[in-house]
Amino acid sequence: MSLARSSLALNNVRTSAVRSLATSAARRQAVAQERQPIQKEFKIYRWNPDEPAKKPTLQSYTVDLNACGPMVLDALIKIKNEVDPTLTFRRSCREGICGSCAMNIDGQNTLACLCRIDRNAGKDTKIYPLPHMYIVKDLVPDLTLFYKQYKSIEPFLKNHKLPEKGEYLQSPEDRRKLDGMYECILCACCSTSCPSYWWNQDEYLGPATLMQAYRWMADSRDTYGRERKEKLQNDLSLYRCHTIFNCARTCPKGLNPAAAIAKIKLELASE
Amino acid sequence: MSLRRSGLQKEVLSLYRRALRLVRTKPPPTRPKFLLFIRYSFHKNARSISPRDVSAIEHLLRKGKRQIEQLEDPSVKDCWVGEEERRWGISNPSLTRTRTE
Repeated sequence: MSLARSSLALNNVRTSAVRSLATSAARRQAVAQERQPIQKEFKIYRWNPDEPAKKPTLQSYTVDLNACGPMVLDALIKIKNEVDPTLTFRRSCREGICGSCAMNIDGQNTLACLCRIDRNAGKDTKIYPLPHMYIVKDLVPDLTLFYKQYKSIEPFLKNHKLPEKGEYLQSPEDRRKLDGMYECILCACCSTSCPSYWWNQDEYLGPATLMQAYRWMADSRDTYGRERKEKLQNDLSLYRCHTIFNCARTCPKGLNPAAAIAKIKLELASE
Repeated sequence: MSLRRSGLQKEVLSLYRRALRLVRTKPPPTRPKFLLFIRYSFHKNARSISPRDVSAIEHLLRKGKRQIEQLEDPSVKDCWVGEEERRWGISNPSLTRTRTE
């Protein structure tokens, strides 16, 4: 109705009956515009453990981006549903909080559920598993060593005595020291992007584990700081870090493990 | 005759020895089942790939090591043996005498 009034105000050329409704005949016949399908090619790393003698390959799939969600995980799920059900990958929350879908997309380690598909249909997207990790199947890496390393730093609160009453108290300033470290979802993107971790995986702990080690060192409620630091006083667990900084660059949650590692080094050097 | 084994062969053999030792730690009634399962797995995997395919052998070694680590857990007291394993076990009896009998 208001549209009709505004057309009056615009002083249209219409000389006939001015009370024209917004829904004119022309508008009723308007058809939803057909979107042209955008065919994007995905090249995905495939390897089957049931045929271990067969070498890994890159398999190509084409997906219509207009019939698919915006994230790479949506494309992977669409491929698995419609084209090839044998494609194997980890996924859970689809919102970037569980860390299951970590993989190497176009050279960057990110979460597939947070990585938008590049709408340029001219280029193909290459999807590889996390680099320099043994593979269980297709895009699924074997993270048992990663979890063992995380377990080895004892990622839980350790205090010499129980609180006087109730709970361990912590001031807001002390709590703020943990910001930027507690959000880590242990997706392993940073550790697997570190060349030092590639070459010394069994000895070097990796940025993810070291950041969590510092998270427990910096926690004011934890009194085992000295023992935690003692554990890192050797040639390999911490000091394989050569500040390459791939970890901070690739973290899908925007955290900075390199800064945490620098703080550990400072604490170890100043004691 | 000197038997020069390559490092990879030594690794496979030491994994097999480790698996046989874990059979000894299991309760006597279920020891033949564990033995059959281990022998069948090793022989089947060995037959499936060429002895020159180093990466496939290394993959099977890692997989076997993980399985053996799980079986070494003292709370594992029994294992399942299927029809295929049993048939293979009858046609390929173990050459060692089991001291449990």
